[in-house]
Amino acid sequence: MSTAEIATETLDIGLFGGFRQFVPEGRIEIDANGLTTITDLRARVEQAFADNPNALMLLKASAFATDRRVLDDESEALPRGEALSVLPPVCGG
Amino acid sequence: MRMDNLQLAVTEAILDGAAALEFCNAPGHGAAALFIGRVRDINQGRSVRAVSYDLHDVLCRNVFEEIAREALAEWGEDTRLYLAHRRGRLAVGEASVVAAASSRHRDESFKACRYLVEQMKHRAPIWKQEHYVDGDSEWVKGHALCGHG
Repeated sequence: MSTAEIATETLDIGLFGGFRQFVPEGRIEIDANGLTTITDLRARVEQAFADNPNALMLLKASAFATDRRVLDDESEALPRGEALSVLPPVCGG
Repeated sequence: MRMDNLQLAVTEAILDGAAALEFCNAPGHGAAALFIGRVRDINQGRSVRAVSYDLHDVLCRNVFEEIAREALAEWGEDTRLYLAHRRGRLAVGEASVVAAASSRHRDESFKACRYLVEQMKHRAPIWKQEHYVDGDSEWVKGHALCGHG
């Protein structure tokens, strides 16, 4: 494969709650190349919000999740083929 | 999501406490408990006009089922449970959540119903944005789902 043919892998990350004030559409696309763990993913999403201190503060208090579960252990491998989301602190009811 | 003794939903439809009690009913059940959460007109000293609820639908349904199954394990597999939460913009006084439980005796119903509500508030991926009478809006601070929040 030539350099021109190398595909860039991207991840579509869902954003909810307070993130909608920064990203009204509720989704960001990030470069997934080199990501192996949730910790890596967090660092990559931090880069995406590097110019927004309020979003970074909210991200610090947020968890990552698939559609099935919250990813408590951020050292775990990045789930492949599953939808991923950033969940800020919750307040139902 | 509806199983024999669980009815769980996230919905834009108006919530109906009577429907919850109708579901939480069985010949052997001598008790039923109902909780209705409504949009309040004042929060932390600010006059509220409405609240918008944002939900992660799929994960929310999964968390509701997880919570309900924990309640069944604790208070008996024959307990009947109902939990529904609204999505979208609600005016003051509208019901945002309805929870109900029925069982043979009142203690299990009270405890199971309260468990659904408390766990939903702490674990379900639901967020609310308050809209104030002065025209301002603000996302409400909540419970972090991660350990470093």
